[in-house]
Amino acid sequence: MRRIELSALFHTQSGVPVEQQTTTTVGEFEPASISAPAAPASGVLAFFREDRFFLILSVFIGIFSGMAVVCFRYAIDWCSIYVLGSGAALTPWRLIAAPAVAGLVIAVLTIHVFPEARGSGVNQTKAALYIYNGYIPLKTAVGKFITSALAIGSGHSLGPEDPSLQIGACLASALGRKLKLSRDHMRLIAPVGAAAGLAAAFNAPISAVLFVIEEVIGRWTAGILGSVVLSAVSSVVVVRWFMGSESLFRIPPVELKRPSELIAYAILGIVGGLASVAFSGGIAVLRPWCRGLRRSTQYFQPAIAGLLIGCIAVLGAPQVMGAGYGYIDEAMHGQFTWQFMAILGLLKIVATLLSFVSGTPGGMFAPTLFIGAMFGAAVGGAEHALLPHLSWSPGAYALVGMGVLFAGFLRAPMTSVFMVLEVSGNYSIIVPVIVANTFAYVISRALQPEPIFDTLSRQDGLELPSMEEQREESILRVEDAMHSPPDLVLDADDTIERIAKLTADAVEDVLLVRLHPSGWSSITREEIQEMTKDGKGSERLESIMAGGGQIPYLHPDHSLDTALRYVDRWPLVPVVNRANLRELDGVITQHDVLERYRDFGGE
Amino acid sequence: MSLEPKRLDLSLYFSREPIILAVLTGLAAVAFLAVTGLARLYQAQQESLALEWSSRGVSDLDAGHYKMAIAELRTALQYSRDNDAYQLSLAESLLGLHRTDEARAYLINLWEKQPENAVVNLELARIAVGKGETVQVLRFYHNAIYATWPSNQETERRRARLELIDYLLRINARTQAESELIALEANQGDDAAHQEQLGDLFLRVQDNTRALASFRASLRLQRDNPAALKGAGLAAFNMGTYPVAERYLQEAVSAAPGDAASAALLKTTQSAIRLDPFRPQISASERNRIVVDAFNVAGDRLKSCGALSDTSPSAPGKTAAAGQETKPAVGTEATATASTSSLGQQWTRLQPQITERGLRRDPDLVNTAMNLVFRAENQTTGNCGAVTVEDKGLRLIANLHEEN
Repeated sequence: MRRIELSALFHTQSGVPVEQQTTTTVGEFEPASISAPAAPASGVLAFFREDRFFLILSVFIGIFSGMAVVCFRYAIDWCSIYVLGSGAALTPWRLIAAPAVAGLVIAVLTIHVFPEARGSGVNQTKAALYIYNGYIPLKTAVGKFITSALAIGSGHSLGPEDPSLQIGACLASALGRKLKLSRDHMRLIAPVGAAAGLAAAFNAPISAVLFVIEEVIGRWTAGILGSVVLSAVSSVVVVRWFMGSESLFRIPPVELKRPSELIAYAILGIVGGLASVAFSGGIAVLRPWCRGLRRSTQYFQPAIAGLLIGCIAVLGAPQVMGAGYGYIDEAMHGQFTWQFMAILGLLKIVATLLSFVSGTPGGMFAPTLFIGAMFGAAVGGAEHALLPHLSWSPGAYALVGMGVLFAGFLRAPMTSVFMVLEVSGNYSIIVPVIVANTFAYVISRALQPEPIFDTLSRQDGLELPSMEEQREESILRVEDAMHSPPDLVLDADDTIERIAKLTADAVEDVLLVRLHPSGWSSITREEIQEMTKDGKGSERLESIMAGGGQIPYLHPDHSLDTALRYVDRWPLVPVVNRANLRELDGVITQHDVLERYRDFGGE
Repeated sequence: MSLEPKRLDLSLYFSREPIILAVLTGLAAVAFLAVTGLARLYQAQQESLALEWSSRGVSDLDAGHYKMAIAELRTALQYSRDNDAYQLSLAESLLGLHRTDEARAYLINLWEKQPENAVVNLELARIAVGKGETVQVLRFYHNAIYATWPSNQETERRRARLELIDYLLRINARTQAESELIALEANQGDDAAHQEQLGDLFLRVQDNTRALASFRASLRLQRDNPAALKGAGLAAFNMGTYPVAERYLQEAVSAAPGDAASAALLKTTQSAIRLDPFRPQISASERNRIVVDAFNVAGDRLKSCGALSDTSPSAPGKTAAAGQETKPAVGTEATATASTSSLGQQWTRLQPQITERGLRRDPDLVNTAMNLVFRAENQTTGNCGAVTVEDKGLRLIANLHEEN
């Protein structure tokens, strides 16, 4: 157990660089790791250490989540066939009645049977991670499965990804509870399941892994990453086994013909950013308003939303119903005019707002992609109409548009780029995606400072950590708190007598000592005086300090958190240059660290 | 909602793990079997729905009910997204409603998967024709022509090439059209109608030799086909082989007495033969008589242009024959009028010598007279009055001898 050994070193060995000591990273795993038996286990049993077992378990989580998502997708399609009908031309009354009646049923189910089925799966998974020690009741998965399948199948403008994510998280949590995993693994198991569910829903493992890391867990460590990747990949394998390996959309060939076209994509980023703000702003305003209405109205809110969506469909835009992947595919292949796609984008925002704020269970990933694709292709079409020399590929603009909304609305910039790459399988589109996404993200951040997931968690009364804030949080470093090196630095070669003379006028109580051939130590003036009194004036300091007295040292780029571990035990910690360990860049004390933290809080 | 985690006795935990994994594997296997059952049910239903809607769509497509067909085939594609046959039918339905951009999107998608698909290439070529994208037209038609067709390979290839030739002729790309026709000719079977069609197309690209050969091939298969006879006559006529043209045109008029165009062409041909003094195997007296006739025809022509009534170059604005005031001629028109008047003067000067006796006395006058005739006929082309059959004949002879 390397961690435990290093941890022991931390306590016994000083005078070594902090990196070597701090490989005992204070993370989520540490208590569990320390609690693991140090006794050597041999053969098969040695193989099943808890960390390794957790990795194997992640594969099973992926398999079970994948199968659950396959069933969920079948359920949505069956609901659609039996509720909306399989026909080519759906009758108007059915278009209106199906989502409305389904809304009533969903309201009863969510109010009386599955109250946890409402709300964002991402936030519920985060809540499991940060609040409930990984606990998500299995009933939530059942409720989410039934109500979301009914909602999406009947035409509510919602997507299957968020419920899939939550179903994966619930299954993982249930499995973890059954196996009585340690608290740290229990906390992590929900995100592992979430990654599996999302990967299965998107048929895109990399995007799912990134999203869960970026939006749920919020940090990268090898232990988490391994489990999340394994679960995502295994769930995708299962989904492809049952549903084929085709991606969600048939991607037409896309390429950037001229660098000047990046301007066109930048405009798309601006439009997407504004659309994201409108969309998230609508949710921020309307959701609390709907929730603030009398309780009795909650029975009718999903039905009214369904009724209105049905009306939109009857009036000529049935494309806004359901997840709408088929229509994204058609938009990518230029089967709509750009004017119609712009209208569809706007109507989809309205329809999704209606469905989501009414409390109908379902996700916003698919509507986000739909809106992005429609606006993307519409902006591309409009630009081409104005500037015919621009190469016009609706597929490229729709793809970039999807990434733009993902970056602007869901505020997952890294996932948004990789999602487009993974879905398109075309790396030549990376530059337009990055350009457009950057514009969208910046505009969205400027106009809507609070990310949508934070808004939702606040509306739900939960105080979950904001991943965006965490990502962009400034890290205080030693160099921010240290002060200049003291004028007087003692040398271990000097005699006590000489040192006493040197320090006669010194004001510092603690003095640093440069050891030979390397290392640092410290000594107080009282200790020097005592040594002189004891008649050791002719002896060299080194001989007196031999075998002990080394203190740890820091480098200017170390985080202040790291420094905090040492400054309470050593009154003065040297900050030395990485290129020359004998060169002192500064010193740091507990007071310096606390003062810097205090100032930072004020900033 | 909180759950108090239980710390495990890890030695027990380790010993349980292989069992846990075995149980999980078993559970996964059971779940896998259950999901497989569901998947089969699901896929069967999807296939059934796809088949049902595609059948309806194809029926409506065949019946020309494109709008219905589009809706039905789109539904079929919802259940079988990557079915190429449905996509092709949908594209054809969209083309039926002239929604070419949408159709093209489907076809391009199909083409990317099957660049060798003949039907897809043909449809894409037709869309490119509509958009006037000649490079794409050539590319897709050639793909279609050289692709493997599911049935009636030769017929379909021929049809595709004929469409391409038609397009090339419409954009006046005669050289490319001729190349395609030569390629078509190489694969032409024993079909009179096909040979006749080929001959017509060769006529349109003005490759009269190949046109005549094709019509002859058609006539060998169907001897009294009036269209082929007419075509052969026209090809021979264009080549200047008037006796051959006369023979075919006579047969064409006999086979189709109501064919006024053939009859008119026959008359012109006969006139060209009759008024040609240079044709072989005629006696000198016959030649002299023809020269006199031709000279008189040219004189009539010059008279009809007023060049013989008022030959004064100083009155260019007047056409004395018509006796009407005309606008003063300017530029090339004035030059033409002056030239015509000059020809009239020459004709008047030469007329006394152009008799059978005069020609017998001075055989060189034959060439002099005929040169004047040819110049007069060419000069007056389109300038004045209706052209008689004799005039047409003389002009043809003039062209023929200029070429030679």
